[in-house]
Amino acid sequence: MSQDTPRWRRAIARLVDASVKERLVISVAALVLAVAVGFVIVTLAGLAASCTTHPTIFGVRTPSCYDPFAVYSELFLGAIGHPEQVLFGTGTWTPLDFRVASLLRSTTLLVFTGLAVAVSFRAGMFNIGVQGQLLLGALAAALATVYAAPLVPGGVVGTLVLVPVGIVAGALAGGVWGAIPGALKAYADANEVITTIMLNFVAANLAYVAVSTWFTPADSSLVQTATIPAAARIPNVPFGFQPRDNFSLLGLLFAVALVVGVAYLLARTSFGYDLRTSGSQPEAAAYGGVKEKRTMVTSMGISGALGGISGAMLVLMVQGRWLSNLPQLGFDGITVSILAGNNPLGVGFAALLFGVLKSGSAAIGFGTNVPPALVDVLRGLIILFVAMPEFFRLLGGRLGVGGDVDA
Amino acid sequence: MTSISLSGITKRFPGVVANDDVTLTVEEGTVHALLGENGAGKTTLMNVLYGLYEPDEGTVSVDGTERAFDSPRDAIDAGIGMIHQHFMLVDSMTVAENVVLGNEPRKWRGLRVDREAARAAVDDLCDRYGFDVDPTARVADVSVGVQQRVEILKALYRGADVLILDEPTAVLTPQEVDDLFEVLGELTAEGKTIIFITHKLGEALHAADDVTVLRDGKTVGALPTADTTREELAELMVGREVLLDIDADAGAPGDTVLDVDSLTVTDGDGIDRVADVSMRVRAGEVYGIAGVDGNGQAELVEAITGLRVPDAGAVTFDGEDVTQRSRRHHIEAGMAYVPEDRHERGLVMDSDLVANGILGSQRAPAFTTGSRIDWQSARTHATDVIDTYDVRPRDADATAASLSGGNQQKFIVGREFERDPDLVVVMHPTRGVDIGSTEFIRERLLELRDEGTAVLLVSSKLDEVTSLSDRLAVLYEGRVMDEVDPDTVTEEALGLLMAGQHPEEQ
Amino acid sequence: MRKPDRGTLMAALGGLAAVVVALGVVFPGSVAGELLGIASRPIMAEIALRLAVPITLAALGGIFAEKSGVINIGLEGLLIISSFTAVLVAWALGGTTSAALWTGFAGGVLASVLLAGLFAVVCIKYEADQIIAGLAVWLVALGLAPFASSVVFGGKNTTSINRFSEWTVPVLHDAFVNSGVGILSYVGHVLLRANPIVYLMFGAVAVSWYVLNHTAFGRWVEASGENPNALDTAGVNVHRVRYASVLVSGLLSGMGGAALSVGHVGSFVGNGTTMIDGKGFIAIATYLFGNYNPLGTFGAAMLFSGLESLQIGIQQFTPYEVPSQLIQVIPYVTVVVVLVLVGRTRIPEAAGEYYESGDDR
Repeated sequence: MSQDTPRWRRAIARLVDASVKERLVISVAALVLAVAVGFVIVTLAGLAASCTTHPTIFGVRTPSCYDPFAVYSELFLGAIGHPEQVLFGTGTWTPLDFRVASLLRSTTLLVFTGLAVAVSFRAGMFNIGVQGQLLLGALAAALATVYAAPLVPGGVVGTLVLVPVGIVAGALAGGVWGAIPGALKAYADANEVITTIMLNFVAANLAYVAVSTWFTPADSSLVQTATIPAAARIPNVPFGFQPRDNFSLLGLLFAVALVVGVAYLLARTSFGYDLRTSGSQPEAAAYGGVKEKRTMVTSMGISGALGGISGAMLVLMVQGRWLSNLPQLGFDGITVSILAGNNPLGVGFAALLFGVLKSGSAAIGFGTNVPPALVDVLRGLIILFVAMPEFFRLLGGRLGVGGDVDA
Repeated sequence: MTSISLSGITKRFPGVVANDDVTLTVEEGTVHALLGENGAGKTTLMNVLYGLYEPDEGTVSVDGTERAFDSPRDAIDAGIGMIHQHFMLVDSMTVAENVVLGNEPRKWRGLRVDREAARAAVDDLCDRYGFDVDPTARVADVSVGVQQRVEILKALYRGADVLILDEPTAVLTPQEVDDLFEVLGELTAEGKTIIFITHKLGEALHAADDVTVLRDGKTVGALPTADTTREELAELMVGREVLLDIDADAGAPGDTVLDVDSLTVTDGDGIDRVADVSMRVRAGEVYGIAGVDGNGQAELVEAITGLRVPDAGAVTFDGEDVTQRSRRHHIEAGMAYVPEDRHERGLVMDSDLVANGILGSQRAPAFTTGSRIDWQSARTHATDVIDTYDVRPRDADATAASLSGGNQQKFIVGREFERDPDLVVVMHPTRGVDIGSTEFIRERLLELRDEGTAVLLVSSKLDEVTSLSDRLAVLYEGRVMDEVDPDTVTEEALGLLMAGQHPEEQ
Repeated sequence: MRKPDRGTLMAALGGLAAVVVALGVVFPGSVAGELLGIASRPIMAEIALRLAVPITLAALGGIFAEKSGVINIGLEGLLIISSFTAVLVAWALGGTTSAALWTGFAGGVLASVLLAGLFAVVCIKYEADQIIAGLAVWLVALGLAPFASSVVFGGKNTTSINRFSEWTVPVLHDAFVNSGVGILSYVGHVLLRANPIVYLMFGAVAVSWYVLNHTAFGRWVEASGENPNALDTAGVNVHRVRYASVLVSGLLSGMGGAALSVGHVGSFVGNGTTMIDGKGFIAIATYLFGNYNPLGTFGAAMLFSGLESLQIGIQQFTPYEVPSQLIQVIPYVTVVVVLVLVGRTRIPEAAGEYYESGDDR
C-alpha cells in the first residue's frame, strides 16, 4: 500500500489485513463443513436410534429416526424463536422473544470467556483455566454482593454500588487465580496448559467445599450460596426482555464495551505491544526490552480477570447465586477464541454464533427427538476444522478459488 | 572418468529461478569446488543432485548413467553422500547411533538394534580413513570438528563414493580447516570424489583440483585451479572487479563508553561460558571480538546488552553500573544492539515494518502519548529507516518475514543506528547478507564510528574484524586470549589464538 | 532458581514417605500410624494399580507421539472415545460374556486409533497447530461420546455391563497367599491375582521401553523429534515415522480408555467432563515428570494413583471427617507442585513443529 493512502483507509486496512480476511474465510468454511459433517452424523445416528415414527423428508419416509433438516431448522431458526413463522403466516414473533433473550444471554457471557482466552493466546499462553477463574469469580461476586448489601441502601443507589462491587470482586478473584499459573510459568517454567487444567479441578473442589462448609444457608438442601439482593442484579435497562429471561441489554452493552476495550489495549497501547510481541516471538520481546516475566503474569491476570467477570455476570445477571453446577462456559470460551483467531473483535461475532448454537441446542431439545448434545459435537468439529487452514488452502486451490484465501 | 555430470539444470521456486541452465562436471577421484556468493544457487544445485529437490529441467548423470532421484534415499543408493552446512545429527544420540541412523544393523530377526555391530563398523571406517572418533560419545559432547567427521562417517557408512560438503569450513578454526583438507586428500586417495561448496576463494584455490563458479543461478566458469587466480575467480563470482580489502582509516578514540570488568557468565550446568573477561570500548573506535562461534561471544554480548545478568563482574556504561539493570534500561540509556539472530531476535517476523521499527522503543516518548502508541509517528519512522537504509521493497506494511536476508539486516541496522546511540553492539552484521548490503552495512558502521559512537563488533569473519576494528580481542572458551593490533596481526597468529594457543608457544 | 533434578526430587519424596512410615511404626496410634495402617493394606495397592492403568497407558502413548515430534494434547479425547466405544460394542454383544467384553475392548481401541489417525492427518498432512488440533480431539470426543450415548442409551451415561474378571496366576497365588510370610502374602494379593488390565499395563510399559530403546523404530522416533532433518537425509520418511507414532499413541490410549470402562468400571459416565475427568491431562504431566522414560512415567502415574487410592482409603477406613472434595484436590495440586519443582522438562527439540521435507511429498 502506498504512503499517500488516506489515513483512515490504512487504519481499516490494519484492522482487516490479509491475515484477518483469511481467518474469516477459514472460520466460515470451518463452520459450513462442521454443519455438513453434523448432517451426516445426525442421519447416521438416526439409524442407530430407535423410534416409533420415522420422519418424512421431501415426501420420502426415511429409515433414519432423525430429520437433519428439522435439526438445523431448530438450531438456527428455533434459536431465535422461528421468525419465519411471520412470513408463512403460521405464527407470531417478536424480537423480544425469550429465545432471543437466551441467545443474547449466552453471547454476553461467552464474550467474556472468549476475551479471556484470546488475551492469553495473544500473549503466547494457553489459558485452559477460564472455567476455574469463572467459578471463583462467580463465588466472589455472590459473596461480595450478599455481604455488602446490608451496608448500602437499596434501590438505584444500591444497584450503582453493588453491581460494580460484584463485578470488581469477580475480576479480582479470577485475576488472582489466573495470575497464579502465569507466575508459575514465568518463575518456575511450569507448563501453563497443564497447570491451568489442574487448577480448574482445584477451583471447583475448593469452591464447593467452601460453600458447603461456610456459605450454604441452613434451609438449603443444595450446595449454593444465599440469593444475592435484588439491587445487585444487573438492571433490565434500557428496555426490557421479560425479567424471567435473565438477560439485560446493559449486560450485552458491557460485553461490547469490553470487546472494544481489549481490542484497544492490544492494538494501541505499549502494554498491548509488549503482550503481542511476547506472544508471537518471546526472544524478540526480550530483545526489545519487554519484561517478559511481568508481562506473562499480567496478561494471565487480565485473562483471569475477564474469566472472573464472566462468572460475576453469570451470578449478577442470570443465576442470582453461586451454584455447584455452573455451566461450562470457560471451555466454550476456548472454542470462541480459536474460531475468532484470537482477535477481540472476532470474539464478538464468534460469541454471537455460539449464542445461536446454545439457544439452538435448547430448541433441538424441545423441537426434535435428537439429543441436544449434538451441539457439543459441532463445537468440536468447528475447532478441528479451524485448526487446519492448510486443508482449506488446498481445497480452495483445487476449486480454483485459492487466490481469495492466499491474498 | 567423469563421476558426476549435471547438465542444463533449472530449478524454479515461486518468484525466483534458483538454478538457470546450470552445468557441472566432476571427475572421479578429484576435489571439485563449487564457488559462488550466498544466494548464487550452489546449495540448490547440490540439493538437486542429492534428491532433495526435483529439477524442473535438466539431467543428472552418475558414472555415465542418467538418473532421476526422488529422494535422498535414491541418491544414497547411487553412492552420493551429503554433509550439510548445518549438521544433520541427533545431539541426544551417540556417534555410532548417528552414523547408522536409517540403516541400523539388527539382530533378533530385526527386533533389536545391534549396537556392537554398529560400533565395530564405525571403528573400521575410522581405522581406514585415519579418523580419531569415539563411537560411544554423545554427539552433544563432541567438538564441531568431530561432528563434521561424524557426518563424513555417515556418508561413508552408506557406501558413498561421492561426498558433497556444503560450506564445510564455516564453523571451523583455521587449524581444523587444515585437518579437514588433509582428510579430503585421504579420501580422494582412496578413490572418493569430493564436491565442496564454498564462497571462500582461498579455500577453493588451495584445496580443489577444479572449480565451477556460479553467479545468480548460472554457471559462469569451470576451470582447473592450476590455471586461475584469485582475481579472476573473484571477478567471475561477483561479476565486476572488486576490491578484496576494505581499508578503513583508523578511528579517533575518545572517552571510555563501555567498561567491562572481570565478567563471568555461567551456564545451567555450572560451566563458565564467559570467564573473567575485561575490556574497554571508547567513543569513536571499533572494538572487535574474533573467535570461532560458540566460544562465549553470545553470552558475553547478552550480558553486556542486558539480556542476562552475569554471575560475576561488572558492566559500566557511560559511567553508570548497568550490570543488574533490565534490558529496557540499557536501551533507554543509549545502547543499540544488532543481534546475531535476526529471525529470532531482531525482528518480529509476522509483524510489519511499522511495528518492527519501534521494537525496543515501544515505550519511548517519541512514539507514545502516555501509554498509547502513536502509530502515525511509528509509520513515519519506519518509512525513514526504509528510505535511508535502502530497504526493499519500500513498503512499511510489508511483514518482516517477506524481506530478503540482506534487507532484513539493513532494516535492523537502520533501526538501531537511528537510535542515536552512544554504543552499538553489532554481532555478525553481514552473515547471510548479499555482497551489496554487506558493503553498505560496513560503510555505515564506519560512518557511525567517525561520528563518535563506540562500536563493539563481534564477528567470526576474520577479514571483517581485522579490516573494520581499531583494536581486536580474540575469545577462546570464554576467555580473552589476547588483544592484538588488527593492522599488524597475521592470519596464522589469529588462527592459533582462535584455537586457544599463543603463537610464541609453538 | 536452580531446579532440583528428578533424582533429588524422588529422593525427597521417598524420604518423606520414610518419615511417615517411621512415625507410623513408632507411634501406631498417631495419624501417621493410621495412614501407614491404611497404606499397607493390599487393597490400597490393588486400587492404586487399577487407577494407574488409564493414566499410564495414555502417558505411554503420549511419549511415542511427543518423542516423534507431535505433541498430542488430545490424549483425554482418545481416552473418552475409547472408553465409550468399548462399552457400546460390549453392550451390543450382550455385555455379559468375556468374549463380548474383550471384543468391546478391541472396539474401543479401534475407535481411539481412528481418532488418533484423524489427528495425525490434521497435524502432519494439513500442518495444523498441534495444540489446537489436540484440543479439538478432546472437544470432538467430549461431544461425540455423550451424544452417541444419548442416542443409544437415552442418556449421557450408558447402562451398566459386566467388567473383566480377575486373573489368577495358578499355584503361585495360593502358595504366596497361604505362605504365612507377610511380604509374600502381600505380593500374592496384589500381583498374582489382579484385573487383566493391570497385567496389560505392565506389558505395555515393558514393550514401550524396549521399542523406544532397542529397536530401529525407537531410534527413528527419537531422531524424528530431535532433528527430523537428520532422519530425512538418512533416507527415512519423517512423516511416516510420525504417523506411526501418533497411531501408537491412539493404540495405547485406546487400551487405557477401554481398560477403564469395560475392564474396571463396567459402564461409561458421560456427564460433565465424563468419567475420564482429566486423566488424559494428568497423563501428560506424568510423562513430563517421567522424562519420557516409560519406567519413570509408570512410577509417576503410581504416585498420582497412590495418592488417589490413599484418599479413598482415608474416607473408608478412618473416622476423619475431611470433605472428600478437599482430599480429591491432592492429586491435582501434586501435579502443579511437581511441575513447579521439575520446571521445564527438556522437550524434544522439534516437538510441536510441522516438518516440511525438502522434496515435495
